[in-house]
Parts: sequence; C-alpha cells; structure tokens
Amino acid sequence: MTRPSPFSVRGRRALMIVRDEREISTVRRQLDRLGMSVIEADPSQLPLQPQLPQDCIDVIVLDADSIPIKSNCALSWKINVPIIALIGTETPSRLKWLLDLHPASFLVKPLRSAGLYTALVVAFDRAQRRIEDAAHIEKLEDRIRSRRIVVAAVLQLIRAHALSEEDAFALIRQTAMRYRTTIEQLSAEIVAIGGMPNRTSRTA
Amino acid sequence: MTKPCIPLGLVFSRSGPYAMMAREMEKSALMAVDEVNASGEFDFAFVPRLRDPGGVVAAYHSACDDLIREEQVEHIVGCYTSASRKQVIPIVERTERLLWHPARYEGFESSDNVIYVGAAPNHTVVPLVRHMLDHIASDVFCAGSNYVWTWETNRVLREIVTSAGGRILAERLLELGETAVDHIVKEIIDRRPAAVFNTLVGESSYAFMRALHVASSRAGLSIPMLSCSLCEPELRLIGPEASVGCITSSAYFESFESTENGAFVARWKARHGTDGNPCVDSQSTYVCVMLLARAIRRAGSTDVAAVRRAAANYRYDSPQGPVWVDPANNHCFLTPRLARSVPGGQFKIFWEADAPERPDPYLSNLDLASFAKPDMDADTATKRANHLRVVK
Repeated sequence: MTRPSPFSVRGRRALMIVRDEREISTVRRQLDRLGMSVIEADPSQLPLQPQLPQDCIDVIVLDADSIPIKSNCALSWKINVPIIALIGTETPSRLKWLLDLHPASFLVKPLRSAGLYTALVVAFDRAQRRIEDAAHIEKLEDRIRSRRIVVAAVLQLIRAHALSEEDAFALIRQTAMRYRTTIEQLSAEIVAIGGMPNRTSRTA
Repeated sequence: MTKPCIPLGLVFSRSGPYAMMAREMEKSALMAVDEVNASGEFDFAFVPRLRDPGGVVAAYHSACDDLIREEQVEHIVGCYTSASRKQVIPIVERTERLLWHPARYEGFESSDNVIYVGAAPNHTVVPLVRHMLDHIASDVFCAGSNYVWTWETNRVLREIVTSAGGRILAERLLELGETAVDHIVKEIIDRRPAAVFNTLVGESSYAFMRALHVASSRAGLSIPMLSCSLCEPELRLIGPEASVGCITSSAYFESFESTENGAFVARWKARHGTDGNPCVDSQSTYVCVMLLARAIRRAGSTDVAAVRRAAANYRYDSPQGPVWVDPANNHCFLTPRLARSVPGGQFKIFWEADAPERPDPYLSNLDLASFAKPDMDADTATKRANHLRVVK
C-alpha cells in the first residue's frame, strides 16, 4: 500500500470546533486556499457524536479553550481522527486536559495564515505513523503471544532428537526460512503434529 | 495654563454578569484620573475614554480596536476576566500598545504588552494553602466555579496538598452563575471535611456561603472556609452572618493600616459615599493608573517602550504598600496578606509577608518539597516531591 503523503492536503476534510469568529474565518480561509473542505461545529453544542460519522473527517481543528475542562464531552473526542489544538490558555490544568486528547499538533492563538499548513502536515504525518506504529505493535504482540508455542516446539525437538536448546531453535529457524514461513507458524505445526513437518512444496 | 492631554482607554463591563465588580474598578480608575489631573506633580492630564463591552468576550477586541484607531490611545486600563484579557492581548501586541491589567489571575502568561498589576498565583493561592496546611488541615473539600480560575487554583492546591501528604476529598464544580448549591452543601455536612476551599465566584459563591452557614449552624458544625477572591463588597452581599469567618488571601484589604491606605480610603469614601468599600480589584485599578502616570512622568513620553522601561523597578507607595513592576515578566512585586472576614463587612488581617514578593506567574520557583510535613516518611516526601517537580 502506498503511504499517503502528509503534504498533499487537497480534498481532505476538517471538522472545525472553534468559538471565536476571527479564528473561524482565519481557519476557513486558509483551509479553502489549501483545497480542503470544512464542517463547522459549535463548541457549546457538544457532544455532537451522532452527527459525526468518523469516516468523513480527516482532521479536527479544536479550540482548546472552548470546552470546559471538567466536562464529559472531552471523552467523546478520544477518537482516531488527528486533532490540531488551538491553544490560548497555557495553564497546566488546561494542558493536562489537552494531553489526554493526544493532539497530533497545535497552534497558538491568535491564528495567522501561516502555521496552519505545518500543523496539518504534522497532524497527517503523526496520524499515519500512529497507524503504522499500531500495526507494528500488534505484530510484536502476536509474536510475544506465540512465544509459548515456540518454547513448546523447541522442547519437542530437544526430546525427540536429543538436541541442545540452541540447536533445536536453530533447526526451527532454518526450516522456517526454507519453507518461507514464520518461526511461530512452524512451531505451531511442530506442536500440532508432534514433530517436524515433512513438506515437499513451499508454503506461501 | 492647561496641561497637555493624554487619552486613556478604560475598558470595563459596566453591564453584564460581573458588572458590579467592573463598575467598582471603573470608579477607582476615574478617581485616580482626577487625582492625577488635579495634581501639580504631573504636567499632563488624562482624558478617560470609556468603553463597556457588556461582559461579552468578543466585544473586548472591538472596544480596544476602536480605542486605538479612533481615540489614538496608547495605554488601556481594564479587563477583569482572563477570557477578556486574552481577547485584548493580540491587538495590543500587534499595535504595540500597553494594557494595564488590575485583576488577580491564574498565571501562566507574560505578554510584553501587558502590565499585570493584579496578584500572580504565588501571591494568592500559595500562602493560603501554606496557612491551611500549617494551621487548619491537610485534607480539604473543594467547591468552585467551572472555569479557568478554579481549574488552575485547584491544580496548584492539589499539588501542594498532596506533596504535604494531604488529600483533596472532593472537587465539586458549578457552572458560572449557578445558584443551586444544596447538593454540595449536603455533601459537606455529611462528610464533615476539616476545611472547605471555595473558588466559586459571584452569585454562586454568595448562595453557597449562605446555604453552608445555615446548614452548618443547624448541624452544630463550624467548618473553616478558605478563599482567594472574596472581597469587602461581596461580604455585604452575602449577609452579616454567613460572610463571617472566611480565611481570605489577597494583596489588599480595606482594613490594611498605613498612612497611604488611610488617606486612600478617606478619599474614596468622600467621593463615593460611606456606604461602599474599596476592595482589592478597585484599589488595584487605582494603582494601575498611578503606576502609568508615574511611568509617563519618568519617561517624559507616552511611548510604550519608554513607559515600559520607566515603569520597571520604579517603586510606588500605593494604598496596598510598595508596588513595582518586575521587568522580567511585567508582573508586580506585591505583599501577600491573609485575613479573616469579620462582622461589619471587613477583614481582619492576621498575616502578611515580610516584604513585597517577586511575581512568579509560572510558579517556577514553587518548591513543593518545602511543604512536606516533617513527620512525613522521608522517602514518601522525596518521591512525591520528585514526581511533582515535573509540573512546576
């Protein structure tokens, strides 16, 4: 799969949750110049989850000062769409609230025309990396989960062929490479049939 | 000979939700303007240009824009809430003007185009919490209005209290202006906390203090209450009984005894009548105008850069005592004080700092380890202090 370029923002859709008219017009004007479309939401009308199909939005531009810290609606923003936070108040209590939303990038108010493009690119890049990192972590977790199987397979070969632990593992690794499969997959087969499978054809 | 005139912007919401306090502040600004104009010490006169944004946050920007474009003001005194100040900062920064801000606030800001005359958090919440820990309790129940002042004040409270081994028993918030307080009062009566920290503002606070007073009396309880915003005009609004006994932190109380304050209160009462009282915010507004007048005189110009330089470290013996601007962050050296509200709508001061304290708007110099109780397990204290140092 080709990795989408964070630099190409044309056609992407932003949800703008901003209170101040001047900030709204700056964001709207700049997104328009970049060829992005904008859906606007009134921060005082939150939560707006029902009207917000997540797959229609690529980024959320959120005025961090427009939502009370101690409110439940903050939770409804813990979604997978990257958030660009607009920051006015730099108090730690506000920043703590913001960190819990995992913002992908931020801009300091008052907004200018410069800066939004960088914030978008950083947000899209972070979002993409987040997806890739999540996939990578899942793969690693799978491997951790199958460690028990690999250990069982190694023990099987030690017992069946009087090998050392090191040699048993080396045998599994070499065989897996020859069969073009993973160590975990081959180990599962060894455990299932009680010995090294005897394959004539290569597995995909 | 008439003195040359300097237009001075005054931006206070005489209408809207905090009109009572803003009117008090505007009154004191105009009193200071008249004193400057009548004084032979100043070879210029201020011409006040008044704007009333009506408590509407967005209207502050247009009010200041208008003052700068139409009235050619270089200096503006005004704003009460942080939300309004945040509206004004972009325009004074863009046009290189100065906003003289009288109100205490939660900190974490430092604009080159604002002179912060109100107290920073190290002047208000920090000494109050230290007193609470040393003399009242280390476990506290918090009631506050749901906005930035409470959020940040309670955060600082929590940091200090937990590093001293205490606990925040609860944090109950009400929307601004909400007066349905019975559920909070009931919880306090049921749980009987050793102290209540009140960061409610306006009508919410008055309703809360009245209801808690009635409920505590009925239950035979006396729970100490602490505040860092209560002031004299509010004591009257709360009522003669419910307003008594609140331990309050402020850089100014009307009852502060000094030659300057005695004269100030007398002039204030002569001008506004003996029914009213000067309070921390109105006195601070007066100080804003006086600091500005002195800086203009010293600079020989109204030019913002020259005035800012002239104001830096230039001591003024104000009603609240010596005040001067710290050029490192444009906030003021002020003397923190603690007082207890007493019958007659006044405060009795029982503690003050030895000298004016350097403003610390980012609480960078707050040493949480200094709050750890000596009887606390040393390891726990160190662990807590290390853990908490991150947020300094």
